[in-house]
Amino acid sequence: MTEEFLRLERIHKSFVGVHALKGVDFALRRGEIHCLVGENGSGKSTLIKIISGVLQPDSGQITVEGQRVDHLASAATMARGIQVIYQDLSLFPNLTVAENIALSEVRERGGGIVDWRKVRAIARAAMDRIQVDIDLDAEVGELPIGLQQLVAICRALTSELKLLILDEPTASLPKHDIDNLFAVVRDLQTHGISVLFVSHKLGEVFAIAERITVLRDGEKVATLPPGELDDDKLVALMTGRTLTRRRFTFSDPGARKVLEVRGLSKRNNFEDVSFELRAGEIVGLTGLRGAGRTELALALFGISPAERGEIRVEGRPVRIGTVQEAVAAGIAYVPENRLVQGLVMKLSVAENVTAAILDRLLTRLGLVDPTRKAAAAVEWIKTLGVKVSDPAVPVQTLSGGNQQKVVLAKWLAASPKILVLDGPTVGVDVMAKSDIHDLVRGLAARGLAVLLITDEVSEAVSNANRILVMRAGRIRGEVATAGVKVEDVQRIVEARA
Amino acid sequence: MRIPPFLRRPSANRTLAGILVAIVVLMSALNPQRFPTTGNFISMAYQLPIVAFLSIGMMVTMLSGGINLAIIATANFTGIVTVLVLRAVAGEAADQAGIGVALLAMGGGLAAALAIGAVMGWLIAYVEVPAILATLAMMTLLNGVNLVITKGYTLSGFPEFLLGIGNGTLWVIPIPFLILIAVVGLLAVLLNRTRTGLSLYLLGSNPIAAAYSNVPVRAVLVRDYVVSSAFAALTAFIMMGQLNSVKANYAESYLLVSVLACFLGGVDPFGGAGSLSGMVLAVVILQVVSTGVNLLRMDPFFIQAMWGFIILALIAATFLGGRLQERRRLRAARATQQGAERPSGDARATVE
Amino acid sequence: MLRRLLRHNETYLVLLIVALCAAIAVANPRFLSYENVSGFLKSCSMIGIMAVGALFVLILAGSPDVSFTAIAQVVEYAIAVATLRWGGNIYVALLAAAAMGVLLGLVNGVIIHSFRVPTIIVTIATFNIYFGMLYVITAGKLINVVHPMFRAFGNTLLFPQTSPIGGTYGFSLMSLVWLAAVVLGWFILRRTFLGRGVFAIGGNETAAERMGIDTRRTRLFVFGFVGLLSGVAAVVHLSIVQSVVPNIIVGKELEVIAAVVLGGASVFGGKGTLTGTVLGVLLFAILNNGLTLLNFSSYWYNVTIGVVITVAITNSAYQQLRHQRSRVHVKVEA
Repeated sequence: MTEEFLRLERIHKSFVGVHALKGVDFALRRGEIHCLVGENGSGKSTLIKIISGVLQPDSGQITVEGQRVDHLASAATMARGIQVIYQDLSLFPNLTVAENIALSEVRERGGGIVDWRKVRAIARAAMDRIQVDIDLDAEVGELPIGLQQLVAICRALTSELKLLILDEPTASLPKHDIDNLFAVVRDLQTHGISVLFVSHKLGEVFAIAERITVLRDGEKVATLPPGELDDDKLVALMTGRTLTRRRFTFSDPGARKVLEVRGLSKRNNFEDVSFELRAGEIVGLTGLRGAGRTELALALFGISPAERGEIRVEGRPVRIGTVQEAVAAGIAYVPENRLVQGLVMKLSVAENVTAAILDRLLTRLGLVDPTRKAAAAVEWIKTLGVKVSDPAVPVQTLSGGNQQKVVLAKWLAASPKILVLDGPTVGVDVMAKSDIHDLVRGLAARGLAVLLITDEVSEAVSNANRILVMRAGRIRGEVATAGVKVEDVQRIVEARA
Repeated sequence: MRIPPFLRRPSANRTLAGILVAIVVLMSALNPQRFPTTGNFISMAYQLPIVAFLSIGMMVTMLSGGINLAIIATANFTGIVTVLVLRAVAGEAADQAGIGVALLAMGGGLAAALAIGAVMGWLIAYVEVPAILATLAMMTLLNGVNLVITKGYTLSGFPEFLLGIGNGTLWVIPIPFLILIAVVGLLAVLLNRTRTGLSLYLLGSNPIAAAYSNVPVRAVLVRDYVVSSAFAALTAFIMMGQLNSVKANYAESYLLVSVLACFLGGVDPFGGAGSLSGMVLAVVILQVVSTGVNLLRMDPFFIQAMWGFIILALIAATFLGGRLQERRRLRAARATQQGAERPSGDARATVE
Repeated sequence: MLRRLLRHNETYLVLLIVALCAAIAVANPRFLSYENVSGFLKSCSMIGIMAVGALFVLILAGSPDVSFTAIAQVVEYAIAVATLRWGGNIYVALLAAAAMGVLLGLVNGVIIHSFRVPTIIVTIATFNIYFGMLYVITAGKLINVVHPMFRAFGNTLLFPQTSPIGGTYGFSLMSLVWLAAVVLGWFILRRTFLGRGVFAIGGNETAAERMGIDTRRTRLFVFGFVGLLSGVAAVVHLSIVQSVVPNIIVGKELEVIAAVVLGGASVFGGKGTLTGTVLGVLLFAILNNGLTLLNFSSYWYNVTIGVVITVAITNSAYQQLRHQRSRVHVKVEA
């Protein structure tokens, strides 16, 4: 199947003051699995929007299935079999699986009355095509996100699908669901459907792509098969720079124990977890999604307290039943979901940075001192290198990497003893990622104890001195990172009981 | 229609001030004999606090993303409880009672209001009942209780101290007005300088992030509704003082006006935005309009319809104006932000 | 199966109604008589019809419409006056009422869609405009005599019985109109794309737009439909009481909304059933009837409703919390 499905030539697109695409050439074969990689601002989303007809190019040529196309409007792209599944999935949480999959298609076929039997039949047929079985009457909002994604794919299948574009599909999926997704994508391929992936996760890109296109600053830098690339080369192409990484080491046998956890348990969350953290350590916590890592973190942070077990901070036993108690004990948590859990988008950077420490900025009368508040905001913004022109700017205007720094700033301002980071570099550009790693190492050097929860084993291996592996709610292994290979740890993570 | 607070305050207040001046001029022109007189302004100064306190009581709950539909019912309930305590202590001679008894009765009324607030706050914060439902239920309940106790009758006969609160003056300035100034000052401090107040804004914008940011969300919510009910109680005392009576369903139409005032004052009904200064201006505007049309002897039902038209006009204006403003400012902010974030390129960066 | 049933709001509502009926019947056995039951079913028809409309709005937007009682009031007055002046028959009256209601409802729809404001705020405004203007134009005059067609319509009975003292009672045509409204509402919501569109917009408006649903058309339809039902409800009310008191319908909005919410409609939009709505209306009707039969003064009505609403919403929220807390986050292995 080497016929070409889509060809874009010399595509230019500008917005007010920004030249987003500078003469990009792009070609996609029929039945190909192709990945599009690039940093924020590289033009990937613009390219996707042009392919799916949401935006029109300023100049250039688009050819679909051999025919020149002058205007790709949304309805037309769907008619040509091009569909996009965005990160938010565009599903209706209050409707059933059957309805989400088939309603659109049944509607297209006309009539005013809903034939429920047809709806169910079409939904079932779509699911059968990719060998998936989900309860047709389940409410989509109640399904885990991996299944929701499959529902979205089924929906795309109900009309004649030739190209499926997936925008960051694996962002919050457990490994098991990622494998499922990849199986489904390969299945689509056998039907002659091309799949275009946009992804930040380099590991997965290498696993699934047949060809990889790299965009940088609005230009296409390369299109190569994964065999001719490796992590470093890819990063170099994406950023125009090379990164050399040295592993984090820790050697201070006399370091005091900052955190001791014994037998921590919570039904349906985790069981009998015990470990310790010393000052200056970065301990990685990894495992498949759904292993209980975040649940453990939430228990340490007081959001979802444990039922049994003991926690000691600097030798003293502490009760952590609320966030306030956790923070008072010196524990800080940088959450997974930056947008919803980490930041108040509408408010300014300064407001976000000082959100957790209001009780430390008081005057003698117990009121918050605005001068001290402003000063604290400025100080922490500077310390963390948040690139912002004015602290009063709403935090939603910042890039992902900068936003993450704001969240970190918020917690560092609280002078914690223990910093729990949950997926701190998810959705963050490569350069900002290493900035954040630098930051964290600097914090450890200053005596903080860091628990780094991450999906990417390589991140843990580079940035932690030892790694705890969690599986199905329990800690199943501990590995010192000195001299260890990523694949070895990966094997422990994926081992079955 | 989310308009971030930092965009809204300075120029919006200027707009409101402008509107206020325009309306005062308009009313004076329509009513040259009766409107622009000292007597009239003093009379407005008496009435303003009632609408103001109700609107502010509504505002504080809107800041946290909720609403207090029961605020008027709470005010009426406070009045009734105050009368009950008064009668229990002073019997038939209630209207001769001294300051001590009056304060005791008012204390009872206030306590009742605070208790109502605490119950609503608890339902909303701990049982996670949506605010609109919890306060709707409470409103129905209180309206019923009020009716059962009073059987529809008006209760009156209050001691001088209480009447003084509603009617008295300190030099020339009406006491209710002084109370308003004092309370607004206190609330400004509460909202902008205390942890609870600042937490309200965080909580209203994003309750999840607030919880994750060490904000004691549940406690703040309960306090929020207690404060709102305190304002209801304050309103009740002033109303009692001015009208010398208490009824099961006074001020029902004020619910609409208080929501309108919040809207005009820039409170985001979804939570997280709203300034006290905007509110105050809004309430003054509404009072001026209300007095002005009353002086024109317009049909009160026509006035009611007029409020409706005003809301719609406001909606249209805010929508069109806000959209323009937000787009312009956000784009400017993004442009400067992109300037700040442009990488200062070294060809190579090594990371230890 | 049982667990699934327990998750539904309607189950608790049915239990509550049954318990209530049992309690009232024990205290006053007349409660369960055909005469009584057909009687309260007739008197709650107006609210029942309006509740169907209120449900549609709640599903669409989560934010309730509070102007439908004002619409009904205006239409009731207008129809009463018009029929007195120009005569006609009941079908013409119903058609005219529906048309007028639709127009008044569309005003809401247009404003809400064009300016993207919460429904409750716009409808508070239109409520005041409609009601205020009604009073300005009519000066609050009551209408004591109406065209005989309404009497005939209102007194029509199916399965009539004669009581020992000579009066007749039976299943009222008004209740049938309510039933028709319920069936129509059910059909639209469940079997038409328009209805599914209402749910879709309520669940995820951006996704609905992306899917190609005409949100403008759907929104206008919902508010027009509310108006239509309010108009019909006005005629029903007129036929029952055979007089017009210009402020009698107004004031019941919150009761209607409470009935719909109690029936399981979510204040966040996207959810609600006709079954639940009907049960909610029945609950309030039974409460009212019970209080009368047990000789409580009408002052107790509000208190009782308030208690019932509080208990119901607390239970609902509590069930929700429990469901969330019992979710299995991790399958912990032995």
